[in-house]
Amino acid sequence: MAKRRVRWLLTGSAVAAIAVAAALAATAYGGSKAGNNKVIIDGTTGTVVNIDPANEYDYDSFTVDLPIFQGLYGFPTGAKLKPVLATGCSHTKNLKTWTCHLRHNVKFSNGDPMTSADVKYSFDRVQKIKGDQGIFTLLTYLQSTTTSGQYTVVFHLNHPDSIWPYILSTNAGYVVDKNTFPANSILANTDTSHMIGTGPYKLTKFTAGQQAVLTPNTNYWGAKPKNGGIIIDYYSKSSTMKLDLQQGNIDMAFQTFTPTEISSMKKTKGLKVHSAPGVNIRYLVFNVKRPPFNNLHVRKAIAYLMPRQTIAKRVWHGTVKPLYSMVPAGLPGASQAYKTMYGAKPNLAKAKAEMKKAHVKKPLPITLWYTPTHYGDVSADEYIEMQRALNASKLFKVTLKSAEWAQYSGALGKVYGAFQLGWFPDYPDADDYTVSFYQPQSFYNNGYANSKMTKLIAKERATTGKARIANLKKMQTLAAKTLPTIPYWQGDMIAVGRSNVSGIPSTLDATYYMRFWLLTKS
Amino acid sequence: MTGTSLRTYLLTRLALVVPMVFILLTLVFLLMRVAPGNPIQAALGGHVPPAQVKIIEHRLGFDKPLYTQYGDYLWGIVRGNFGTSISDNRPITQIITQNGAATLELTFFAMIVAIVVGVSVGLLAGRFRDTGLDVFGRMFGILIYAMPVFFLGLMAQLVFGVWLGWLPISDQASPINQALLPAHTNIMFIDAIWARNWAALWDVTKHLILPALTLGLVTAGVFIRLVRINVIRTLRDDYIEAARARGIDERKVVYTHAFKNALVPVITIVGLNFAVLLGGAVLTEETFNWPGIGHELVLYVQNRDYAAVQGIIIVFALVVVFVSMLVDFLNAYVDPRIRY
Repeated sequence: MAKRRVRWLLTGSAVAAIAVAAALAATAYGGSKAGNNKVIIDGTTGTVVNIDPANEYDYDSFTVDLPIFQGLYGFPTGAKLKPVLATGCSHTKNLKTWTCHLRHNVKFSNGDPMTSADVKYSFDRVQKIKGDQGIFTLLTYLQSTTTSGQYTVVFHLNHPDSIWPYILSTNAGYVVDKNTFPANSILANTDTSHMIGTGPYKLTKFTAGQQAVLTPNTNYWGAKPKNGGIIIDYYSKSSTMKLDLQQGNIDMAFQTFTPTEISSMKKTKGLKVHSAPGVNIRYLVFNVKRPPFNNLHVRKAIAYLMPRQTIAKRVWHGTVKPLYSMVPAGLPGASQAYKTMYGAKPNLAKAKAEMKKAHVKKPLPITLWYTPTHYGDVSADEYIEMQRALNASKLFKVTLKSAEWAQYSGALGKVYGAFQLGWFPDYPDADDYTVSFYQPQSFYNNGYANSKMTKLIAKERATTGKARIANLKKMQTLAAKTLPTIPYWQGDMIAVGRSNVSGIPSTLDATYYMRFWLLTKS
Repeated sequence: MTGTSLRTYLLTRLALVVPMVFILLTLVFLLMRVAPGNPIQAALGGHVPPAQVKIIEHRLGFDKPLYTQYGDYLWGIVRGNFGTSISDNRPITQIITQNGAATLELTFFAMIVAIVVGVSVGLLAGRFRDTGLDVFGRMFGILIYAMPVFFLGLMAQLVFGVWLGWLPISDQASPINQALLPAHTNIMFIDAIWARNWAALWDVTKHLILPALTLGLVTAGVFIRLVRINVIRTLRDDYIEAARARGIDERKVVYTHAFKNALVPVITIVGLNFAVLLGGAVLTEETFNWPGIGHELVLYVQNRDYAAVQGIIIVFALVVVFVSMLVDFLNAYVDPRIRY
């Protein structure tokens, strides 16, 4: 009996296996590598959180949004802010009321006309939803939005805001179709039929963690995309993405390879590594209330010893540049305040002098924190270099500690005295690299509050043109003097493409935007 | 044969699923909250002021007492609402159906590889005991069992993907096929057949080979050793000796009588190894960028995404429970001596 049943089981399994094999054999002859030479396949190690602009506040989600949605202002061709859906905006003298005139004959990808009602709806929606990703915080100064006819929108602010056009360029200001987006809730990422914007592409498919498919928007008001569509493929590991790029399974990759992988790909036939100065930065934060970092002389000694060149060269293989202000070089208003004050290279004599003034024991034991789960494994190498430089001075005895991002992000200044952070801008302007860090109660909880700085922030927001730039420079100088942070590198914007993909250099600039519509594939 | 005893046993096992899942769920709920960090901090800690983080935590109920959060969660589960992941805003049911299907596809084919390789090598090694074939089989079994799955995966990628260029090294299908193939079941192998897209089916199969082979081979190591020992033991049994004494052809004795009986215990080990296979799938999915549920679990644990981790763990638990029940049933079916 048992044998018979085993026989049945074996026979059944064999039949199933033969059926599968037969199916495979039957299909084998038809096998060919699927492909479409007009569609560009891009690889990334990023993760999309939300595509709906009302709750999107991370770079990877933004990269998907950028080809689908547009704001009244933006950076369509380079790092210069330009009107996009608006023809221009004017403001009252006190910078509290901004009137914007909309471009005519703009349609959403579903054919709906874009009017002032859509603009008002989009801003009201962000403020009403207050999404858990926090993008609504960019509209803190916005009191209300009103319309005047079909093509005029008026923004009423409760505070002077010289950088309002920059806010209009962020996804907090992206215009969505009032007929497809719910007023009080976030649209699901997979609800592609309602994910309607005015950009050069429309989202046709989104599978979380796998891919986003973008096809050209036939109702687009501007210049048509130079390719037949974009597929963004998501990877969990950059090493797998690199192999796929080398094999030709993807056409290009943007975000994020390790420095070693980039060096290796520079030598790989058929691949081209494109890079341009970027605006992604890394910096060391001090909790200025917590000993020993509450001692300005201790902070200054560390600033004098910061091994920027070594980190850039040895750890990052030249893919980052030493940074001497929180505002990266290349943005209007960027100064080199830390270079002026502490020199371009480490200065042991000056560090010793500062430590003498600090009246602390030497070597001073300090702990530096970093988080490889958020900033990559290379962070460990970065902090080992820092430890080596500080210990070699015999002024410090450094202990390195790391934590997972989920734990790290909650602790920051509350638990750690000195810790690693990185910044990618909400909008590419010096304001985003200063106000965010130097205002009291800033996000990193480091206890820094300087009345002179607070006044400068208010002045900067209430001035325009050269006066605003002058205030931004003053803020950077004051920050270098008071040292709530020490910036140490500015990352290049790097994209790797196969040799048949062109147009990549045209989108690499200080905005850090990947403008897919400019790319072609031969 | 097994009659009511098996039925009662299976019903009891089924009834025990509820408290088991409840205990597991409670443990995961507590462990996730005891671990430092929380999902809101992980999502916003790098760019939003603490006051705003607190407002959002309040809105999502993360500032409520633990027992209230637990009660809310259980009530949601009872109503079939597993919630939405915080780190990427996905309904948990979607994660289970979409990524779970990818894992099912991988583990199914890996199990076929494991059984085919494990059983055939084990049978040969047992039959030709102490010969070169046996030594090879044992060495092979130990080697693949001891080899970490990610290492074997990386080696396979390097050899078959990079050096020879025969097979793709990542994903379930090429990007174009992923984009164009309608997702009926989320199991791309079936979806390609459903769409009668034979080119896509070939593409999907090629993508499946390396991950399934990697995961299957690691699992096959256990089967090789077990089958070999069973064959050796069975060949010494009295009924085999009796068959030989009756002058039955040695080939018939071995292939008809000994091998089949030696395979009965393998059914049990297949079931037990399903849990191991799921564990291995996490690493295999990471290595091959396979969009399975294990791959997602790693990300969600890193982000302290409570709802997602809880939902995925429940699925893992249920799968293991039901597979072990199925194994019990099959065991009772093929061997009437088994009583529960």
